[in-house]
Amino acid sequence: MDKNIKVKNVIVKTAADFFMPIALIFGLYVILHGHLSPGGGFQGGVIVAAAVVLVYLGYGHETTENVFNENLLKKSETFAAIMYAGFAFLGIFYGANFCRNVLADKMGAAGELFSSGTIFWMNFSVGFKVLTGIGFLSLIFFGLLKEKNNESK
Amino acid sequence: MLLENYLCSIVLIVLGLYAIITKKNAFKIVIGMGLVDYGINLMLVSAGFRVNGTAPIFDAPTQTQYFFVDPVPQALTLTSIVIGACVTALALSLVVKIKEHYGTLDTDKVRRLNG
Amino acid sequence: MTNHLPIIAIQVLFLGAFISGLVGYKSNSLRKFVIFLATGTSLVLTLMLFKPVMMEGQIISYWMGNWVPVSDWAIGIGLEVDQLSLFFGLIVTVTVFLGAIYSFKYMSKDNGQDKYYVVFMMLAGSVLGFVFTGDLFNMYVMIEIMTFAAVGLTAFRNHKAESIEAAFKYLVVGSIGSSLILLGTVVMYAQFKTLNLAQITALLNNAQHTPVILFAFALMIGGYAVKAFIVPCHVVAPDAYAAAPSSVSMLFSGIVNKAGIYGMIRLVFVVFASMNLPSMQFLLVFLGTITMFIGVTMALAQSDFKRLLAFHSISQIGYVLTAIGLSTILGLTGGLYHALNHTLFKGLLFLCAGAVLYSTGTTDLNKLGGLAKKMPQTAGLFLVGAFAISGIPPFNGFVSKWLVYQGTFAKSMETNNPGYVFVTIVALIVSVMTLASFIKVTQSVFFGQLPKEFENAEEVPLSMRIPMWILAALCLVAGILPTAVIDYLIKPAVLAIKSAGNYVAVMMGQEYATKIYTEGIAIPKYDYAMAGWNPTSWLILFGVLLIAFALVALTGGFNPRHIVGAENNNAKFDVFFSGEAAEHSHVAGNDLFWGLKHNLKGYFHFMHDVHNGVVNDYALMVVSTTALVMLYLFLLVK
Repeated sequence: MDKNIKVKNVIVKTAADFFMPIALIFGLYVILHGHLSPGGGFQGGVIVAAAVVLVYLGYGHETTENVFNENLLKKSETFAAIMYAGFAFLGIFYGANFCRNVLADKMGAAGELFSSGTIFWMNFSVGFKVLTGIGFLSLIFFGLLKEKNNESK
Repeated sequence: MLLENYLCSIVLIVLGLYAIITKKNAFKIVIGMGLVDYGINLMLVSAGFRVNGTAPIFDAPTQTQYFFVDPVPQALTLTSIVIGACVTALALSLVVKIKEHYGTLDTDKVRRLNG
Repeated sequence: MTNHLPIIAIQVLFLGAFISGLVGYKSNSLRKFVIFLATGTSLVLTLMLFKPVMMEGQIISYWMGNWVPVSDWAIGIGLEVDQLSLFFGLIVTVTVFLGAIYSFKYMSKDNGQDKYYVVFMMLAGSVLGFVFTGDLFNMYVMIEIMTFAAVGLTAFRNHKAESIEAAFKYLVVGSIGSSLILLGTVVMYAQFKTLNLAQITALLNNAQHTPVILFAFALMIGGYAVKAFIVPCHVVAPDAYAAAPSSVSMLFSGIVNKAGIYGMIRLVFVVFASMNLPSMQFLLVFLGTITMFIGVTMALAQSDFKRLLAFHSISQIGYVLTAIGLSTILGLTGGLYHALNHTLFKGLLFLCAGAVLYSTGTTDLNKLGGLAKKMPQTAGLFLVGAFAISGIPPFNGFVSKWLVYQGTFAKSMETNNPGYVFVTIVALIVSVMTLASFIKVTQSVFFGQLPKEFENAEEVPLSMRIPMWILAALCLVAGILPTAVIDYLIKPAVLAIKSAGNYVAVMMGQEYATKIYTEGIAIPKYDYAMAGWNPTSWLILFGVLLIAFALVALTGGFNPRHIVGAENNNAKFDVFFSGEAAEHSHVAGNDLFWGLKHNLKGYFHFMHDVHNGVVNDYALMVVSTTALVMLYLFLLVK
């Protein structure tokens, strides 16, 4: 029985090692290219949050607790929400209505990466909020699982 | 709207309602709630279909076809998927807590509040 | 600048939630200061809207992102604040402000306060957003946020098993309601290709009401009935009200109910403009009457303080729905006035229940007693609330209930329909039973003998008493000066309900409105027939399947089992023959109406068995209500 478990650990750990950078980079790509191709804030955020789950699957609960700082995730989540509302309020400061795209002409031309005004920044803040939020949620669920596993062992 | 999409979504919604009404295990009730949400999402996306339309993306220099399918239902479906995910997360955490307090997931036994 | 005020009022509440989450780690008082500032600012901004909207009759229409309609077709999300929205908005902001002040001290014994305040502000912001918006999908999103926040707050005290159970049931039934609203929205979008409420009103004005539109209408009525806790979809409400902290119960009965009522008014009166049909009036009056009656009769048999108040809340919403269903000017005035009064006096009653719980630690009516010596101010304020809810002058319940009685009676005179006299009689009986129930509660909680374990109960702190005094003063003012309240608050709202044309004109431009109401505008025909099938007949098939499914499930066809009944056996009422079945029996103040309950045993046993606590049966009630409403609309409404 021991031999079986060791092999399973090595396989899962290797797969997690391989897929984690892919998850991070691909997720960031989807977030940043939200105005050019399908995707956007929520989808990219969920892909990046899969990195937290991969760390837990490959390395176990203690490593996950050491790598991710719960307090920082909680505070970043609220900060991202305030950032989103701040960008939406920019419209009122510039004289138009709420959520108006007032930076559209001040950034690059259509079709480039760094373009389309406040859509880019709002996309980024939504992605940031989703990745911190779902990461924090997953960390709490793993904490619950650990207690149950300790009780049953 | 296509016929197959439409029929599938109605079947999903009715099956989801069946699961909520007749199944006794709390987990199966959560699965039923998810099925109802997915059925409605499918109907929402297929409400925007237009024959011979293509994906509503603007590739400014290289664009050839301008007849898009309706992009509004796609945005609405995104919001609805997020809401469905949040409902599932909240319901599952409540199910874990119910198991802790009551020791069972049978809804015939989780009924201390009655009358 | 007044144009921006509604959206700033909504965003301040959401921003307050997140900022308090960010800076609240330093100290508790900083967090409380942020919450106080946020709710206070929102209240002040909504009050600033009072003058332009209510007194000068201006309707504020606001397109987010400046996406104004292009060639008469609405493409953006719009906010529209007319007098009806501002009326409900004032109710929401005042209640949230007083609830926040009350919960500063009330929640000081719990841990996890930062999560409480964040979810509290999200609930407040979502209901305010719901009443101010003018877009159909935005209404669904706001109602979903409201449902999540409500479930989260119900499950707040998660060391008690009842909170988790109540939250789970609320989530399942509430999620079915929201899905019904979403399905109705989807069908409406597929028909009209627009989501703006004003434009849908205009397009429906000239269109034939096809079966598809009636189907969407029935689904949305079912969905909003679940949100407003109308019988028979009310079964999760008592569990949720009793399990939540008291400051949150005040919000539930004050603004969550009203959100459902506002959704129904906006839908039935303005968008579908169907309230001049007698069959629709009959539907709403019928639903309201059975809600009134069942709410108050269930309340007579309860033994838990907050559960009893929850059933009374359900019955008062029945009053509001009955009065609104009459759709005369008198009825609408009575209904809206009663909605305002209900928030005030029910909020006061829940805050008093919270004060009792804070001092003594229990809400069981069999154990409490004689608290008037220890908590005199709370007892006095509770008496004010009890008089207000029973309709005793000079408090505000009297004015609104009198308007409801007069409205139903006048309607029966107008239409020569004796059914409305029956509604008046039921309303009077319900009022008498409300008074009886509150005499019982006052006797068993505040008067009588003080049990030994409550010897050192003391009066609640000052910051908890301030909201209660403010609410009691508002109750008195609304009762003494009814004409002022009606002239400034209610009459503009009633006129706004009746004039859908204004709503359309402000949102979409005057020329569009005149064009609609004189000629017609063709809906661009996106051909469903391209795929070769007619969706109308498939939708009717879905409706028929849903109805058949509900009927089969109701008669127990799916898994035949006996109905699981609730246990109620008590030896204290047996005839004393020789020896007793129970060791110890204590006739408490709660048993004041034992004779009435004993004689109507059959009815009470049936109702107790219906509220049996199994979540599957609750979901079945929601689905069967929707199926019955759909059947009614297809058969009887022309």
